[in-house]
Amino acid sequence: MSTVATERAAPQESERAPAVVLTGITKRFPGVVANRDVALTVRQGEVHALCGENGAGKSTLMKILYGMQQPDEGTIEVEGQEIRFRSPTDAIKAGIGMVHQHFMLADNLTVLENVVLGAEKLHGIGGKARRTLVELGRTTGMRVDPDALVERLGVADRQRVEILKVLYRGARIIILDEPTAVLVPQEVDELFDTVRGMRDQGFTFLFISHKLDEVRTIADSVTVIRRGTTVGTADPKAISSRQLAEMMVGSELPSPETRESTVTDRPVLSVEELTLLAEDGSGRPVLDAVDLVVRSGEVLGIAGVEGNGQTELVEAIMGMRASSAGRIVLTSADGTRTDLTKLGTLARREAGIGYVPEDRTRHGLLLSEPLWLNRVLGYQTRPPVSKGQWLDIEGARADTKRIVEEFDVRTPSIDVPAAALSGGNQQKLVVGRELSGDPVLLIASHPTRGVDVGAQALIWDQIRNARASGLAVLLISADLDELIGLSDTIKVMLRGRLVSDADPATVTPEELGSAMTGAGDDPDTAPPAEPAEPKPSTVDSAGQAAETTAPARAEDEAEGGDQA
Amino acid sequence: MNLLRGKLMPPLLAIVFSALLCSVALVISGSNPGTALSAMVSQVGHGTTAVDIVNSASVYYLAGLAVAIGFKMNLFNIGVEGQFRVAAVTAAVVGGALRLPPVLDAIVILLVAVLTGALYAAIPAVLKVTRGVNEVISTIMLNAIAMGIVAYMIRPDVFGVLHGNNISTAEIPTAGQVPGISFGSGGTVFGLVILAAAIGVGYWVMMNRSRFGFELRASGESPTAATAGGVNAKKMVLTAMLLSGGIAGLVAMPELLGRDHSYGIISPAGYGFTGIAVALLGRNHPGGVAFGALLWAFLDKSALALDNVGVPKEIVTIMQGTIVLSVVVAYEIVRRVELAAEQRRVGRELGNTGGTPPQPAVASAGGES
Amino acid sequence: MRRRMRGVAVVAVALTSALSLAACAKDSGNSSNNNNASGNPSSGCKLADKPAAAPAGSTSADAGGKVDGSALKIGLAYDIGGRGDGSFNDAAAAGLDKAISDMGVKKDNTKELTASANESPADKETRLRQLATGGYNPVITVGFAYADALKKVAAEFPGTKFAIVDATVDGAANVTPLTFTEEQGSFLVGVAAAYKSKGCHIGFVGGVDVPLIQKFQAGFAQGAKAAAPDIKIESKYISPAGDFSGFQDPNKGNVVTKGELDAGADVVYQAAGKSGEGVFAAAKAANKLAIGVDSDQYNQPTVAANKDVIITSMVKRVDVAVYDFIRAFAKNDLTTVPKVFDLKADGVGYATSGGKIDDIKDVLEAYKAQIVAGKITVSATPTK
Repeated sequence: MSTVATERAAPQESERAPAVVLTGITKRFPGVVANRDVALTVRQGEVHALCGENGAGKSTLMKILYGMQQPDEGTIEVEGQEIRFRSPTDAIKAGIGMVHQHFMLADNLTVLENVVLGAEKLHGIGGKARRTLVELGRTTGMRVDPDALVERLGVADRQRVEILKVLYRGARIIILDEPTAVLVPQEVDELFDTVRGMRDQGFTFLFISHKLDEVRTIADSVTVIRRGTTVGTADPKAISSRQLAEMMVGSELPSPETRESTVTDRPVLSVEELTLLAEDGSGRPVLDAVDLVVRSGEVLGIAGVEGNGQTELVEAIMGMRASSAGRIVLTSADGTRTDLTKLGTLARREAGIGYVPEDRTRHGLLLSEPLWLNRVLGYQTRPPVSKGQWLDIEGARADTKRIVEEFDVRTPSIDVPAAALSGGNQQKLVVGRELSGDPVLLIASHPTRGVDVGAQALIWDQIRNARASGLAVLLISADLDELIGLSDTIKVMLRGRLVSDADPATVTPEELGSAMTGAGDDPDTAPPAEPAEPKPSTVDSAGQAAETTAPARAEDEAEGGDQA
Repeated sequence: MNLLRGKLMPPLLAIVFSALLCSVALVISGSNPGTALSAMVSQVGHGTTAVDIVNSASVYYLAGLAVAIGFKMNLFNIGVEGQFRVAAVTAAVVGGALRLPPVLDAIVILLVAVLTGALYAAIPAVLKVTRGVNEVISTIMLNAIAMGIVAYMIRPDVFGVLHGNNISTAEIPTAGQVPGISFGSGGTVFGLVILAAAIGVGYWVMMNRSRFGFELRASGESPTAATAGGVNAKKMVLTAMLLSGGIAGLVAMPELLGRDHSYGIISPAGYGFTGIAVALLGRNHPGGVAFGALLWAFLDKSALALDNVGVPKEIVTIMQGTIVLSVVVAYEIVRRVELAAEQRRVGRELGNTGGTPPQPAVASAGGES
Repeated sequence: MRRRMRGVAVVAVALTSALSLAACAKDSGNSSNNNNASGNPSSGCKLADKPAAAPAGSTSADAGGKVDGSALKIGLAYDIGGRGDGSFNDAAAAGLDKAISDMGVKKDNTKELTASANESPADKETRLRQLATGGYNPVITVGFAYADALKKVAAEFPGTKFAIVDATVDGAANVTPLTFTEEQGSFLVGVAAAYKSKGCHIGFVGGVDVPLIQKFQAGFAQGAKAAAPDIKIESKYISPAGDFSGFQDPNKGNVVTKGELDAGADVVYQAAGKSGEGVFAAAKAANKLAIGVDSDQYNQPTVAANKDVIITSMVKRVDVAVYDFIRAFAKNDLTTVPKVFDLKADGVGYATSGGKIDDIKDVLEAYKAQIVAGKITVSATPTK
C-alpha cells in the first residue's frame, strides 16, 4: 500500500533540520535485543506518534532518547546536531522533556513548588519563577493555579502540571508516554486541544500510545515499532486504524464481531435490587437497586463511563464487597439455583463463576509465583489443581500446560514467574484459567485492556466459543467496539443504576456514548440533576472509535507492515 | 546455577561483606582480625560449643519459623517474644505442678505451651480482624504486658520458688523432662531439637503442598489477588497468627524441658527478636531459616571465644547487624536482577521461536453501524 | 488451680497484715511522746530515741602480714556490663586490682570475661569452663546468675577453687560464697534518710523487682521506721522481675524518681545499677537529696555532676570480698573468708564522703553497734 512508507520517512518539505533523527539505534540487554536498527525521524513542530504492541520496544527507545539508557549502536541527532546523552540532564539541556505515564509529583507541595523543584537555578523560586509559570500557562492554554496543592488536583490537572514542569525546564520536544491512559474521554479531548495549540506554536511532540483511534486523531505522522525495530512511518490520516494495527502485529486483524445468536431462555445469573453503599460512610449508593439477568449463551455488556459503578457491580457479584441489599442467584447447568447473596467469594467461584478482573496484576495474578501456581488461584479447592486440603501440583502443572497451548500463552515454560510475561500473555493465562472448570458464568471486566491486538483476537475468540457452548458472560468494557461486537444485550450504567438498554445490532457507538453520559434522549434514562462529572464530549471520542471499525477491509493489506 | 545465584549468593556475600566490615572495625580498635577469625572457627571444636550452637539454633529456629509464618503473609508478628515468654512460664508452672507418667507429662507441657502461645497471639489477631488494629503496635504492647505476666507468675507468693537471690517456677519432675542426646564431654543435644526439625519440615509441606499454605502465600504476595481468588483475608490473618503464636509457644521448650527445668528471672529473653532476624536471614524458607539460626547461634557463641582471646565481643553484635542488613539488601538486588533476567530470557526464547502467529481472523465483515 | 487459689489467699493475707501493720505503726507514732532527743533540727520527723552508743567491737580483719600472690592465675567471670559498669562488676574488678597491687599478682596471669545480655545458661557454663581449662585458679564469678552454671562446672573441675558473689551453691565444696547483708547497710542509710528528710517522706528506687534488690528496700524501710516511726516511704521498681533493663536505663530511673519526688519524697535511695544516674539527676533537678549504693558514689566519676545531692552511699564491699577471697586462697586457708560479709565484717556500711552526714554519724554508729551486737535484727524481705 502506498500509504505505508517503509524505513525512514521521506525527508519531505522540511525547511529546517528535523527535531529528532534516530539512526540505526540498537540496544542489547544480556541475552536479548530490545531495539534493533531503529530509525525514526521527527519533524519540527509535528505530533509524531510511536505505536507498537506491549513489549515491542517503545519504552526502551524512549528511555534512550531521554538519556536514561545509552544505545549500543546508532546515533541521535537533535535539530541537526549529533548528541550523546549520558543522563536525562543532558536530554533536558538539549530541549527534550518527558511526561511519564505515572506522575512524579509531590502531593503535599503546590503546583509552583512542584514545577520549580529541582530547577531552582533557572528562574529562582520567587516572583520570577511564578511569572514564568503563569506566562507558560497563558501561552499554552494550560491554566493551573500556581498555589493549588497538588493533592487537590484531578488527574488531568496533574498531567498539565507534569507538562508545565517539562516546559519550564525549556523543553521544545516533549515525549508523552501513554498520556491518555489515565484520562476520561473529555479530558483526552482537552489534552489534544492543548497539544494541537502547542504544536502550532512550534513545539514537537512524541506521542506514545497503542490506542489507534487516538493516534489517528492527534498525530501528523506515525511510526510503528514491532519486535524492537521500526517497521515504517505513515500518515495516519491516510490509513485506517486497522491498517495501523496490522502494521503493529504483522498480519490482518479480527474484529470482535459475533452475530449469530446463541442466547437461550435459561437464566444463569439473576441480580435483583442489588444495592451497595459507598464505603466513605456517606450513605450514598454506588449501586442503586440494580436488576439484571444473564442467560445461558448470552453476553450481557455493561456500558458506562468508568466510575459509575461497574467495578462495584462486579465486586459485589463476586462477593468481594458486601452488598447492603438485594439478591444474587446463580443457576447451574443442571438447573440448581444457588443463592449467592450470603456466600463468600470462594463459594461463589465454586458455584461456577469465572472472573477476569479489570486489573490482572492486582486482582488476577501472583506476579512473582510461577505460572502453574497462578493456575491454582481461585481454584484451590477444586480438581484438577487441588485435592481437598492439599494441592495437586502435577495436576496444576498439566492443566497450566493445556492453557498455555490452547490460549497461545507465549512463555518458555510454566515455571517462569507471571511477572516475566507480557501483559497480553498474562491476560491470556488469566482468561484461560477462568474458562477452566466449566464455569456457568464468566464475569469479564475489560478483558482486553492493555493487551496487544493478537491477544485481543484470541481472547475474543475464546469468549465467543465458550458462549456458543452455553456460557453466560457479563462483559464490562470501556471499548465500545468490543462491547458492541461481543454483546448480545447492552445495558448502560450511570451513577450506579442501569439506565437504559441498547441493541448491539443497531446501536452506534455515538448513541451509546451519549447514553453513557446521561445525555441520551431515551426517556427512561432521565438522569438525576446533580452536576454530572462526565460531560457530553464523550460522544466525540466514541464517534472517533466508530470510525476505526468502519472501513476494515483487511485482506489485501496484510503484507503492508510486514517488513521486518 | 540459578539456585546458587538466587538463593545462596546473597547470604554468602552478606557474610563476607560484614566480615570485612568487622575486620576494619577490629583493626581500627587495635585488635587482630586474624586472631578473631581463628578463635571463631576453632571454637567449634572445643568443649561443648558445637552442641551449644545446635541447641541455641533449635531455639532460634522455632522463633524464626514463628516469625516467618507471619512474614509469609506480610503479617509482622513482633509479638513472638511475648508469646514465647508467656507460654514458657505457663508451661513451666503447669509442668512443675503436674505429676503424670513420663512422655505423657512432657506432651501435656508442650501442648500447654502451644495453646498458651496461640492464645496470646489470638489477642492481636482478633484486634486486627475485628477492629483493624495494626498487629505491629498491638504485639509490641503485648510484649511489655507479657513481661509483667512473667514477673507476676514467678513471684514467690504466686507460683514462684525463692532460692537464694533467684526466683523461678517449681522444678519440672523427671517425667516432664525431655532427655537429650549425650555426646559425653561434648555436651548434650536437646531432645527437642528433633521437634524443631520436624516443625521445619511440616512448615515446608504446609507452605508448598497444602491449600492453606497456598492461600497464606497468596495473601502475602497480593492481598487483592487473594481476595479475588476467594481467599478469606480475615480467616487467614487469624489462622496465621494462631499458628505463629503456637510455634512461638514452643520456643523456650527445648531449654525448659531439656536443661533448665524451671523458668525464672534469669531465663534468657530476646529470642522473639532473634527470630525476626533469623527469619529475615532465611527469607522465610525453612532451609534458609535453619541456616540463619545456625549462623546466629555460631556468632553468639563466638562472643565467648572472642572474649576469651581478648577481642572485644561486641564485634559479634556488629557482625549480626550488618549481616541482616546486607542480606536484606542483597536479596532485594538479586530479586530484581533475577526478574529482569527472567523477563529477558522469556523475551529471548520467544524471539528465537518467532512466536506462533495470532489466531486467524474470524470475521471480516465491516462495522455493523 | 489449687495453687492459684493458694496464691490469691497468700496475697490477701499479706495485704491485710500489711494494713494492720501500717495501722500499728501509725498508732505507735502518735503515742510516742515528742522525743526529739538527737536534737536534729533538719529532720521533719518525730525521731525515735537513738540507741545507746555501745562501742562496737572493732573489726580488724587486716591483721596478718604480707601475702605473696605472684604465682596465682586468677579468672574473673563478670555479669552483664563487666568491668566499667560503675556498679558491682566494677567493685569486683577493684578487688582484683587491689590484689594485683598488694599481693604481687601478675596482671598477665589474670583473665576477665564478661556475660552478654540475654545469653543462654549454657554460655555461662562455657565461660567458666574456658577459665577452668585455661588453668585459672581461683575463678571468681560475679552475680547470682552464675549459680546454676557454677554448680555444674564446679563439679567438673574439683581441683579448681571457685567463688561466687551474691549467691550460695549448695553441695559444692570447692565453691566459696561471697554474700552480703545488704539489708543491714540499707538500714543505716534508711536511718540517715529519716534524719535528713525535711518532709518526713523518703523514697526507694529499685532497678529490678528481684529478691536481691528487695533486701535493699527492706533494710532501708526498716531503718527509716526505726528512726522515725511515722515516716512515709515511697517504693518503686523500674522493671519487673525477668526484665533486667531496669539496671541499665537512666531515663526510666529519672522518670520513676521524679514520680516519687512529686509524691513528696525528699530523700531517695537508689539500688538500680546504671539507672541510678537518672535517680541522681532527678534529685538534683528537684533540689532534693539522694543516697547512692554499692560503692561510695560521691566519689564516682560517672555521677560527678550530681554528686552534691548524694548525702551518703550504702557501700557493699564486693571489692573487699574478692580481695579477701584471693588473699585467703593465696594463704591456702579459705576458712578466714567470712561466712557472710555483714556490718560486723565491714562487708557493708555507709560512706561519709562529702561530709553531709557528719552531724548524725554518732546516731548511725549507735544503730550499727546495735545491729552488730544482734540487738536489732534486720529483715531481708520487705513487709508489705
